Amino acid sequence: MIPKILLSIITCLSFCSGQQTIFTTPLSPRIANYDIDVRLDAKTRTLFAHEILHWRNTSSDTIRELQFHLYLNAFRNNRSTFMKESGGSLRSSKIEQDGWGFIEVKKLVLPSGEDVTSALQFIQPDDADTDDKTVALLPLVHPLSPGDSIKLSIDFTDRLPQPPFARTGAKSEYFFAGQWFPKIGVYIDGKWNCHQFHATTEFFADFGVYNVRMTVPEQNIVGATGLQVEVKKNGDGTATHFYHAEDVHDFAWTTSPEFVEFKGKAENVDIRVLMQPDHADQGVRHVEAAKVAIEYFHKWYGDYPFPNLTVVDPRRGAGGSGGMEYPTLITAGTIYGLPDGLRTVEDVIIHEFGHNYWYHLLASNEFEESWMDEGINSYTEYQIMNDRYGPEGDALDVLGIKGNILQLQRATYLNAATIDPTIRNAWQYYSGNSYGVNSYTKPGLLLTTLHNYLGKEMMLKIMRAYVARWRFKHPHSKDFVAVANNVSGQDLDWFFNQALYTNAVLDYSVDQVSTREVQKQRGYDYTSSTEKADSITESSEKITEASAGDSTMYLSEVKVRRLGTFTFPVEIEAVFQNGEKLREHWDGNDLWKIYRYTKPSKLVSATVDPDRRIPLDINFTNNSKTVEVQSLGINKTAIRFMFWIQSLLDQPEWLNLGTFLQQLF
Amino acid sequence: MLKRKRMIFVYYILNLLFGLMIMLPVRAALMDAAGYSLVGQHLAVKIDMDFLLEFIVKNSIAGSPMLLLVMSAGIIYLAANLFLSGGAYGVLAAGDVYSARLFWENAGKYFGRFLRLFFWSLPLLGVFFCIQFIETGVVRFIWGSDPYQYVTYWGAWVKTGLAYAGLLVYLLVLDYGRIIIVLTDERKTRNALWQVLKFTFRHFFVVFGLSSVVFLAGIVAVALYNPIVDALSAPSALIVFFLLIFQQFFVFIRMGLRLTLYAGQMELYKVASLSTDAGAVSSPSLSAQPA
Repeated sequence: MIPKILLSIITCLSFCSGQQTIFTTPLSPRIANYDIDVRLDAKTRTLFAHEILHWRNTSSDTIRELQFHLYLNAFRNNRSTFMKESGGSLRSSKIEQDGWGFIEVKKLVLPSGEDVTSALQFIQPDDADTDDKTVALLPLVHPLSPGDSIKLSIDFTDRLPQPPFARTGAKSEYFFAGQWFPKIGVYIDGKWNCHQFHATTEFFADFGVYNVRMTVPEQNIVGATGLQVEVKKNGDGTATHFYHAEDVHDFAWTTSPEFVEFKGKAENVDIRVLMQPDHADQGVRHVEAAKVAIEYFHKWYGDYPFPNLTVVDPRRGAGGSGGMEYPTLITAGTIYGLPDGLRTVEDVIIHEFGHNYWYHLLASNEFEESWMDEGINSYTEYQIMNDRYGPEGDALDVLGIKGNILQLQRATYLNAATIDPTIRNAWQYYSGNSYGVNSYTKPGLLLTTLHNYLGKEMMLKIMRAYVARWRFKHPHSKDFVAVANNVSGQDLDWFFNQALYTNAVLDYSVDQVSTREVQKQRGYDYTSSTEKADSITESSEKITEASAGDSTMYLSEVKVRRLGTFTFPVEIEAVFQNGEKLREHWDGNDLWKIYRYTKPSKLVSATVDPDRRIPLDINFTNNSKTVEVQSLGINKTAIRFMFWIQSLLDQPEWLNLGTFLQQLF
Repeated sequence: MLKRKRMIFVYYILNLLFGLMIMLPVRAALMDAAGYSLVGQHLAVKIDMDFLLEFIVKNSIAGSPMLLLVMSAGIIYLAANLFLSGGAYGVLAAGDVYSARLFWENAGKYFGRFLRLFFWSLPLLGVFFCIQFIETGVVRFIWGSDPYQYVTYWGAWVKTGLAYAGLLVYLLVLDYGRIIIVLTDERKTRNALWQVLKFTFRHFFVVFGLSSVVFLAGIVAVALYNPIVDALSAPSALIVFFLLIFQQFFVFIRMGLRLTLYAGQMELYKVASLSTDAGAVSSPSLSAQPA
């Protein structure tokens, strides 16, 4: 592998000499390659573009049609699949009255010069809703044999939605163009994989090379995927920014005259942050967060092969374009006055940069297996946030209130754990909430549980191997599982089958604990006997006997139950009055397990998963049981709560603080 | 403050009762969730965020009834406060010498008038609360409908300050309205309201300043209170008991501050109205008691 510093030098020399080469050897198959010239009409928020698409048939099939994504048509009207499913709003954004957007193919020409625009037809492979125009099919008069290529010339016009809605759009002088060009689908497994744009789906595409020339008002700053080759002033009040990107499967760009630039570097990756003027005081914070992200991913998961990263801070009122990932470009989002202890900036940058691994390098299908990018990314986000800013309060540390990102995310899982299995088509979850939980939170929790089960080092090995084996490819869930099994040397199917393919819930509880004095030995015969308890399933007991002597003995009992259908090996810790602690290991398969102890000390408490290593457990509170009531902590909490109620009753005008917070956020 | 300790005690008991009314169901829910769990034990040291989030999620269905309870309690508490304030002002007007008979008779005597005063003053509450929207207008006028976020941020502070100021002015009107009713035995609450508006705005800075001092004293007290309570984190029954005593002592002091404010306002009214000859002043007396 070329050392990163040498790569930077080669890149620089190439660009300086006018050649556009980032990698001397292609990193990916480069199936779909685009040359696009686009001009922005800022007044009408319209893009006029000409695209040359070079596509290679790398399959063993003869291709008789091409399928394209026309994502912007999701915002064409309120009858698209996207708008029907979303109810017209997403990420707290709604399209303004005259803010609809679209993409229109004006002209589609084959290499022979034949205009086949009229042959383009809209299809709806997911829901047969003919109102939806986000997928188009082009029948090929001359089918493509295996190994053949085709070059298409496409003229198209975009109207960007206003405000930015579902990641793309315009707001006043700010423009963000994502999913803005006719994008060919992926031909894989013997067929086209080209889904409609749904409210809860993202994207899937092949790798390639992009050369994009964007003509914008001269005073505008541009940020885009890839590297800037040149900026040329056109003498008519516009300037053309030429960007080149290799081995990427998407291209997004943004422009505004108001961006304030900040720069940094980490692991030989040039960081460029484009901040809004009213957030400029947080520019350094964004750069530092990007550095943290790059350094951790490089150290833990493998080399980031690209020489640069751009971070975009969306404009006020354009939050719909925030919190999103594109190859070598991510969008974040913040507000003025954000306290340092509220680490949303760090969290979003670490998460979105993480997508440059889980989504970009490992180009899984976000339509069909959304957990593979969002869920794996959530797991790595939790790990990095906690290592860097934890162990407590890694996400929230304000006015003495501390919270970790994993804790806060887990709360969303609690109410939606049983609705859907983790893996299903992203548009077929029960609700947007279920999509979110099963794509982000639950996979993050299950991978953290696996991390704790296997150990940090083993989990890092698995993740690094996954990156190394599947980078620049399209992995499936089974591929990740295969890597985990292979690297760990264990068959982890028992875990993944439950975690990914079912809605099984993991919940172990200590149901009962008791301790009673055992009568001293008397009478003619005394035998210690094991009681065989009746049960629905197999049961077993464990008896520990101390020597009977004259000391008082106590028979203690701990009853542990599996309340959920997810089975997982657990530890149980019994604590005795004399300070003794006993740890038991249970495979967790049965419905319950009873432990009995005969000891000279009373049982005080018992806990399942005492080290809290199973965040997938849906109820931590029932994990422990005490023999005596624990009223001290309850009373203290109740007393503190009562004080605030008494204060509010006396000065109810403090409730006005709610208005203040609502205005800020 | 010490000479009014019995009155303060009455106010304190009312506040404590309502606090208990809202707290006890929450305590019961906590006990049910974690009473026999190590989580309950850990709560004696610090809040377990996992437990807190689980508790909120699992009890979210009780949110609406709880909110209803809190709002109902708030409204009843407000009415009860109006009732007690009749007694307090009556005692203060009669020379600040407490007697149970004087207190409760005046509480009953003035409650109806105070209640009418409250309802007649509600439109004023709306007007004073809307003072905060001056900020909205100014921002819109200067920066349009799309201001930079630092304008929104600092504007929110200004708006909150204006909202508090508006509320304070309203509370002033309510306080002085009651004082006027007690001192002048005014039976027509609209007249009292008109008089108090004239008085308040004629002596605005003095009356607002007095109320602000007490309001700010409350904030300073809370700021001092928090670090002390945070320091009381040791998990022992004695510490928790001491925490309770400290908290309730703090609440007692707050009640004392309130009555001190009432007394200060009454004195201020007497002095100011004497100097401007703003109406006859009389104090309620025991001689008017029924046989």
